[in-house]
Amino acid sequence: MYPVVYPVVYPVVYNDAVVKKFVIATMFWGVVAFLVGVYIAAELAWPSLNLGLSFTNFGRLRQVHTSAAIFAFGGSALLGTSMYIVQRTCRARLFGGEALANFVFWGYQFFIVMAALSYVMGFSQGKEYAEPEWHIDLWLTIVWVCYLLIFLGTILKRTEPHIYVANWFLLAFIVTIAVLHIVNNAAIPISIYAADSYSAYSGVQDALVQWWYGHNAVGFFLTAGFLGMMYYFIPKAAGRPVYSYRLSIVHFWTLVFMYIWAGPHHLHWTALPDWTQTLGMAFSIMLWMPSWGGMINGIMTLSGAWDKLRTDPGLRFSVTAVGFYGMATFEGPVMSVREVNALSHYTDWGIGHVHSGALGWVAFITFGAMYYLVPVLWGRKALYSVRLASWHYWIATMGIVLYIVSMWVAGIMEGLMWRAYDKFGFLQYSFVESVVAVHPFMVIRLLGGVLFLIGALIAVYNMIRTVTSPTTALPRRGLVASPVLPALGVAGA
Amino acid sequence: MESNVGDFIVGLMMAVFGLIGLFLVAGAADAEMYVFGLALSGFAVCFNFGLLKSHYDRHDEARAAARVRSHV
Amino acid sequence: MFIRHEFFEKNAIFLLIGTLVTVAIGGIVEIVPLFTIETTVEHVEGMRPYSPLELRGRDIYVREGCYVCHSQQIRTLRDEVERYGHYSIAAESMYDHPFQWGSKRIGPDLARVGGKYSSDWHYAHLTNAQAVVPESLMPHYAFLAETPLDTDDIQARMRALRIVGVPYTDAEIANAKADLAAQADPGADSTKLLARYPKANVVPGDGHTVTEADALVAYLQMLGTLVNFADTNTERLQQ
Repeated sequence: MYPVVYPVVYPVVYNDAVVKKFVIATMFWGVVAFLVGVYIAAELAWPSLNLGLSFTNFGRLRQVHTSAAIFAFGGSALLGTSMYIVQRTCRARLFGGEALANFVFWGYQFFIVMAALSYVMGFSQGKEYAEPEWHIDLWLTIVWVCYLLIFLGTILKRTEPHIYVANWFLLAFIVTIAVLHIVNNAAIPISIYAADSYSAYSGVQDALVQWWYGHNAVGFFLTAGFLGMMYYFIPKAAGRPVYSYRLSIVHFWTLVFMYIWAGPHHLHWTALPDWTQTLGMAFSIMLWMPSWGGMINGIMTLSGAWDKLRTDPGLRFSVTAVGFYGMATFEGPVMSVREVNALSHYTDWGIGHVHSGALGWVAFITFGAMYYLVPVLWGRKALYSVRLASWHYWIATMGIVLYIVSMWVAGIMEGLMWRAYDKFGFLQYSFVESVVAVHPFMVIRLLGGVLFLIGALIAVYNMIRTVTSPTTALPRRGLVASPVLPALGVAGA
Repeated sequence: MESNVGDFIVGLMMAVFGLIGLFLVAGAADAEMYVFGLALSGFAVCFNFGLLKSHYDRHDEARAAARVRSHV
Repeated sequence: MFIRHEFFEKNAIFLLIGTLVTVAIGGIVEIVPLFTIETTVEHVEGMRPYSPLELRGRDIYVREGCYVCHSQQIRTLRDEVERYGHYSIAAESMYDHPFQWGSKRIGPDLARVGGKYSSDWHYAHLTNAQAVVPESLMPHYAFLAETPLDTDDIQARMRALRIVGVPYTDAEIANAKADLAAQADPGADSTKLLARYPKANVVPGDGHTVTEADALVAYLQMLGTLVNFADTNTERLQQ
């Protein structure tokens, strides 16, 4: 790692203070999300851990975990890295000043805390990944509008004429999430002073609005946004240009067009009309292509720099993430096929699929970005320990493998048991027999999650030592007068 | 810097939210709205304290820098 | 290409508008017809809005995250119909704000659980699931039987639902508290309740305080019971 060198002609002072806050928040919420995940996984293995209390049971804690993982961990990572990326690629300081940036940071943290508190207190809109009640949704909308203002404003004041590809994905993520959020969360509160509300939609229409939202929360929050992250940090860490400009154009537009249609694959064989299910299935299968376009572009950017995978663990995380992305975006279209879905829906296979994407793609690309950013933002010459980062990588990967494989086995077992007939033509298994059969896999999955959590704790330790240890301090060589280094947070400058 | 205007607008916005929070607490029909309103008001107060602090910190730094320059 | 990509790459506003237009298409094509095509929600006899007690029970079901482990949608698959009953039709969830079809079965589907177990079984199962089903993973919800139901806002709730399209009548809203109490009291006269809400199940409450468990059991006991599938056939249900 070497300090960032600014050209003499454009001495831009970037707002990195807000990025640092988001980096800390990302790692903090990551640990929280993984810890809650481990606890609820344990509840599914040993239900006495629900403790009989209203605020510790699986039904209330599950959304604490999903919101923490997607919005707290994933969201903080996206907001922070997007603010870093947009400034650097536009060569412009963040629009709106420090106050607006701080408002977006603290306002977003407020949203996270209030959402989790409300679930535990027994308040929920009852729609997956959209559980926060109406007033918390309103607050998020306000914060999100300010975030869009900052991001778009920075692009508009850019001194670099072309908008870099990462920013296409980030902009698409920000505006699409706004539309999805507003439409799906339309609800009528029972009174302006009450937390409870009723969805504006009902039944089959609500089902499709919800899964138009739900699948595109994956497509735009967890995919497009993180592809933006990938498009900056992989070329930067590898020191190579993006593999193909043309491919980035084609896969960007086809991805943002096709993803929206995929929602119905969550509703196969239900009361959703057949024509809608078929459309959803067709587009989900086609979606495999733009997704792999992204994977190819990301991995092939390493051309000429493959040896860096041996020496740079952050880059190793990022490239592995892209590999898992490819895997998950193949598995998804497969599961979208109606006949496959007849077996997989409602089973643990869906959980396995979600976590191969969430742990393998989202978390790993985030770790790659964090390992790059921490030394740079805090003006340190390198990570405290490359070895510890390697340990993190291998332990976490082992955790993911245990998680996915146990869920594949459990999911397919459940699906097969539910549809099994004995030789007399009766259903062979009662439902509860399938619950008993998958118990060992609940334990293995728990172990996978524990490993993933341990990896994250190693990363947090490594990052704290990177910031505080004298061994990583940059040598002071008369750079004190530079206006640049205070922005980097270098002590004494 | 342009941050003074930006600071003022954001501070005003937060003050309005803080007031809204107080109204929500006053009329709260359930525990969650009560907590939300209280937390919103508290957040607004703390955030605006932060805005004031950073404004005057910048002001003091600028004065200190000017004093250093004039003594050279 | 007749449009050079520079058009989008050098102009943030065009990029934003282009993206918005692109992402709007799929949603409009898939979602809007569900509201305009009449046969999406079948016209069947028997569907009615939730009674006040059932509604409160449903509120509790939603806030406790029951949909996270239990689905409420029987698919058009042979083994599923055999295990749970007639496949779910769209009309059966037409008054569900929000829908609770669920996406995971850690526990069994509940779309037609109404009437399958006695109300006493439900109270016992909610309090300690393992006492009734030893291998169950379900948490204990004993606190529901110990928490009195908050009934002050029942009329506000029904009015709010009416705004989003649930056809509660003025008479139903006016009598909400009386109907709620009657449905939780086996000793009370339930004729008016049943006139307003056919097939409503009276649950064995203690007659003094209505608890949250009473509400939840009343809700569970009517699930999937409203439409009489013997009266209709596939042709009439088909689009």
